[in-house]
Amino acid sequence: MLYIKNISKSFIQRGLVLNNLCLDVSEGESIAIMGPSGSGKTTLMNIIGLLDKPDNGEITFRGASIANFNDDESAVYRNRNIGFVFQDHLLLPHLTVSENILLPLLAAKYSSDELALKEQHVTELMEKTGISDLADKYPFRISGGEAQRVALVRALVNNPSILLADEPTGSLDAKNADILGELLLEMNREFDITLILATHSSDLAKKMTRILQLGEGKLIDLTHPPSRRGDEFRKCILE
Amino acid sequence: MVPGILQIVSRSIKFYKKPVLYQILIIALLSAVITGSLLTGRSVRTSLKKSASERLGNAGIMLSSGVRYFDASLAERMKDSAKINCTGILEISGYSQSLASQNGAFNTHIYAVNPDFFTFQGNDSVNIKPGEVAVNNRLSNYLGVKTGDELIIRFNEISNIPADAPFAPAKGTVKSVVMRIGTILKPNNTGNFSLSISQIMPMNIFMNLSDLEDINGKEAKINRLLIENKNEFSSIDIYNKLKHVLKPSDIGLSLRVVNKTGECELISDRVFIDEVIIKEIQNVLPTSAPVITYLGNRFKAGNRSTPYSFVSALPSSIYPEIAQGDGIIINRWLADDLVVNEGDSIDMFWYSPDSLNKLIESSNKFIVKRIVDMKGIWSDSLLMPDFPGISGSESCSDWDAGVPIKMKDIRRKDEDYWNKFRGTPKAFINYEKGKELWGNNFGPATALRFPAAISKKEIEDKLIGSLDPDKTGFSVTDLLGASFKAANESVDFSTLFLSLGFFLILASVVLLSLAVTSYFDSKRSQINTLFALGFKNRWIKQLLVLESGLIALIGCLIGAFAGYLVNILITKALNSVWGGAVQTNTLEAFFNLIPMLTGFAVTFLITMVFMILRVKRYLKTLNRKEKKIHVSHSPSRNFIFLLISFFIAVALFVCSVFFKDQELSLCFGAGTVLLITLILFCRQFFIGRIVYHPDNRKTRKGLSRLYYSFYPSHAVTPILFIAAGIFAVFITGANRMNFNGEHLKRSGGTGGYLLWCENTIPVKEDMNSISGRKTLGLDNEQLMEMSFVQVKRSSGDDASCLNLNHVSAPPLLGIDPADFISKGSFSFSKSMPQKNVKNPWKYLNVTSESNTIYGIADQTVLQWGLKIKPGDTLILRAENGQPLNIIIAAGLKSSVFQGYVLIGMDNFMKYYPSVSGSSVLLVDGDPGLTGFYKSTLNERLENYDINIELTSARLASFYEVTNTYLSVFGVFGALGMITGIAGLGFVLLRNYNYRKKEFALMLATGFTVKRIRRIILSEQMLILFAGVTSGVISAVVSTLPSLMNSADIPWLFLGMMVSAIIITGLATLVISVRSVTNESLTASLKKE
Repeated sequence: MLYIKNISKSFIQRGLVLNNLCLDVSEGESIAIMGPSGSGKTTLMNIIGLLDKPDNGEITFRGASIANFNDDESAVYRNRNIGFVFQDHLLLPHLTVSENILLPLLAAKYSSDELALKEQHVTELMEKTGISDLADKYPFRISGGEAQRVALVRALVNNPSILLADEPTGSLDAKNADILGELLLEMNREFDITLILATHSSDLAKKMTRILQLGEGKLIDLTHPPSRRGDEFRKCILE
Repeated sequence: MVPGILQIVSRSIKFYKKPVLYQILIIALLSAVITGSLLTGRSVRTSLKKSASERLGNAGIMLSSGVRYFDASLAERMKDSAKINCTGILEISGYSQSLASQNGAFNTHIYAVNPDFFTFQGNDSVNIKPGEVAVNNRLSNYLGVKTGDELIIRFNEISNIPADAPFAPAKGTVKSVVMRIGTILKPNNTGNFSLSISQIMPMNIFMNLSDLEDINGKEAKINRLLIENKNEFSSIDIYNKLKHVLKPSDIGLSLRVVNKTGECELISDRVFIDEVIIKEIQNVLPTSAPVITYLGNRFKAGNRSTPYSFVSALPSSIYPEIAQGDGIIINRWLADDLVVNEGDSIDMFWYSPDSLNKLIESSNKFIVKRIVDMKGIWSDSLLMPDFPGISGSESCSDWDAGVPIKMKDIRRKDEDYWNKFRGTPKAFINYEKGKELWGNNFGPATALRFPAAISKKEIEDKLIGSLDPDKTGFSVTDLLGASFKAANESVDFSTLFLSLGFFLILASVVLLSLAVTSYFDSKRSQINTLFALGFKNRWIKQLLVLESGLIALIGCLIGAFAGYLVNILITKALNSVWGGAVQTNTLEAFFNLIPMLTGFAVTFLITMVFMILRVKRYLKTLNRKEKKIHVSHSPSRNFIFLLISFFIAVALFVCSVFFKDQELSLCFGAGTVLLITLILFCRQFFIGRIVYHPDNRKTRKGLSRLYYSFYPSHAVTPILFIAAGIFAVFITGANRMNFNGEHLKRSGGTGGYLLWCENTIPVKEDMNSISGRKTLGLDNEQLMEMSFVQVKRSSGDDASCLNLNHVSAPPLLGIDPADFISKGSFSFSKSMPQKNVKNPWKYLNVTSESNTIYGIADQTVLQWGLKIKPGDTLILRAENGQPLNIIIAAGLKSSVFQGYVLIGMDNFMKYYPSVSGSSVLLVDGDPGLTGFYKSTLNERLENYDINIELTSARLASFYEVTNTYLSVFGVFGALGMITGIAGLGFVLLRNYNYRKKEFALMLATGFTVKRIRRIILSEQMLILFAGVTSGVISAVVSTLPSLMNSADIPWLFLGMMVSAIIITGLATLVISVRSVTNESLTASLKKE
């Protein structure tokens, strides 16, 4: 579904962060990306979500090259295909929980019928994640764990193909981290959403179908060594 | 429900109450200043219009004869025949004095009115009893008089014969009368009636026209006809109506039959008849011909002479026997007296008509062509004009001819001739020769004669309705229209206050910029979230612009209404503490929707443009956040610039010590460069740390400086802002226009003259001549060095900066510039671009036959009062009603002549011959004796109602206006600085936000929040004090000459301003630093 080939990214202050990195992601996969702080996990996630652009390399989503999308195309791509969950929930403080969740629909410009369906979907998701009672509350009135669940529902509201979670449990306690981890996997399974998760938590990573280690700008597949991957990917890794 | 964009915006505004409120307040301030300025401009103009309406009452159109007079019956004819509501008045200026307190008022407006005047003005209740006068509030307050008190009123005799006209009587030109005050008129009772265009309240006396007749001893004439106009007439309508009813007698012409010859002649009560009137009459009656009769001092033939004889110059068209060229016909009496025969030559001597006060004697040699008996025309005593000082005299010794009569030369036989033949001319020449010799500024004829074939009635019938009012000295003015036009084109207080409030506007914009940046910074993560959620850049921009727009809308709306309060405050200040700028206390603050909407729209537009730019820049910054490069600033390069600017500053300062002429500009330059030096020094302080003290990285102070070495602009920009603001306000305050030695120099605004005198009663004597001084009692030895420049003055609307209205008819001064040329007095600012003008004064002496002359005025008057420039032509009306084109030769640097247009004396006398004597004097002499000169002149010229002031004081009075504006600028500047200084709070918060991680780390390593606050506070205080110190030091250097020479520096204001800036700055910092809390730092730490 998502194919990343030889992307590199460098910053003036930090130098080369991603170095000819390759990654292919299948539909419905759940991938954990691990690596030390500053290894480029967030950069990779941002590139996948088209929040940032690689210096070079190719990104193909469902067969279409997306690396050179302009700002508007990137926005549409994000809105329709990507769901983001950050370490910090990043809920808009002046909107209620339900408004925060429904916010991505505003960017999508759905018809009223579609919107009704979406709202129905949101209600189900909220029930599923246990935040139905929080609908009219403002973000500063709810706990961190609840806020992350709200952020998760917001990420799922447009039925994305990929859910990008950048250290989603980083600021949560163990109990809430577990709850959120389970929810992420449940959504992955139930809605067949591809989950790409950047995390320091090996417990959470182990629950994913694949674990990738990011180091020195490259990914090492800890679950499936290169020998077991397809030719093209192997070639990319070897290069 | 999916939240809409408006819902998101409104929720955001509600949520971020505090930062939004800051922005709203700042925008409201901006809007209030702009709207307030616009409303003030409108209020001033509306006040001027209101004041004009109040001044004029029901007088919509004025028919004026300028300095001449016309018959009061014209008013009745205009009423009856033209069916208009009008009233005739006599407007003169004079002097009034309270009999009790002896307080006097110069330039009092005296209106002699008919009883119907107040009815005309809609004030039926006002009635001036015979022997009483009504005065207006301002005059009563000025003189300290009340109803029942007595006033001494002095004015020039109302006479048709101009005092400077040949052989006008020298005596009895001043009338003085004591009258009781019957009524004190309030403004709504026509008290402030005035025909001048000025916002300054006049000092008025109203008296009955019949009382003036008693005082003057003859039937009073009038010089103004006020016409009510309810939009039914135009000036042209009135002009046509006047032409229809105008009779020769209205303009002082009377027709009489000459019994000796049976002919008719038209004579003028002004004695001499204007050339334009002669031509006008000749157009109607082509057979009419002018005659001029003049008084000769003596005839001489050999060693025999005959004193004081009238000679007539007769037209050959009516009197074909008259001799041509230098031929002369004399009567038998003269021939016998001189013992001459036909063919002999005789010499005639007379005083030159246009310089009678200088008593220049001219002469001509004539050949006796014929000796005639005293019959027919040769015995016509009516040929002698009705010179008031001569014609009624019983004997020659009683003559008051305005020139010295040598009594010892008058013989018994001369007295006998006078007794028997009165002024019958003894000699006759042809008219062309007579015109050449005796034609003068007052006219080329003393009568117009008609052939005997034309009857008196025929002449009368033909002349009625045929005379062109324009050519008979009349002018028709749309008073209300002219006043409204003057108000509409008056000093634009909107632009003025927008300029004066520049600092406040700039400070608001800077503050807004800081507030918006701070606000956007606080929303950075939300915007990033919106990006992540798939919102397009355009949508996010829309969201931010909409939010900013809503904030701007609210701010502008509040500001627009607050602008009205600003308008009230400014108007109150203009009526009181800033009164020097407007010279009145009658301005009103008016509410008007147009300036309010304009202010709102302009501010909204400015704010929106600004906000859109900020949003664009902000989104751009967000998009490239990861690419931000920390530029390493070069201390060595900065140090080189620092050294260069320091040496330039020192060099300029040293030059100022040696080149005293350029001291002001050199010191200003030195101060400005020093300001740059100090700013570079501050920059060096911040960026130099990293290089020179690498150990600083390990200390707390070192960390701060390290931060500023990366971001020097975060410290240097606020320092620059504070320093530049203080610099500007300080130099404005210190550079008030004060009097110094420069102004007293010949090239200065006083021209080096000591005193400026204005006298209500004109001085006819030549004050520089021995005889003139003797007459005036100024022949004291101590006064020998004292000299005068005598100046004639015509009436007009004050064009100085004291008059807010746009003036189109300024008063003229007639000046002989010889004294200025020889002494090098005054300096010019600009001259005509078309010509290479070496000395513009010389242009004043250029005469022309085409009513085109040159003039000079203060550049300030040209630019602001008249709105013209050198090379332009100012069109006024000469006394005879003809257009007078004055080409402006040059603009003077600020001088004592402000308010006037100067023309040459000869031109003045030519075009305004009825303005007699000199009404303005410039006194030169020994500066050490100025006080003595003043007291002596006050004493000796008391009867001329002289008002004497030091030229320096006069100049200073004009500076008061400029200084008031500078004060306003200072106050607005200080307010702007205080407003801007509040921006330090935002700077503090921005720097804090940038360095949150650093402070969070410090918190983690054992620093308390209190200590961190102290660190932040001390850094910002350093910025504050560096700015204040840099500004004050450079401003002091810039203004050192003014500080050392002037006692009028507003130290208190400057001290208060600097203190207010420091106090506001400190208060803002202390309040802002409270945002640094344990919680915010801990949260930041958590993220790490």
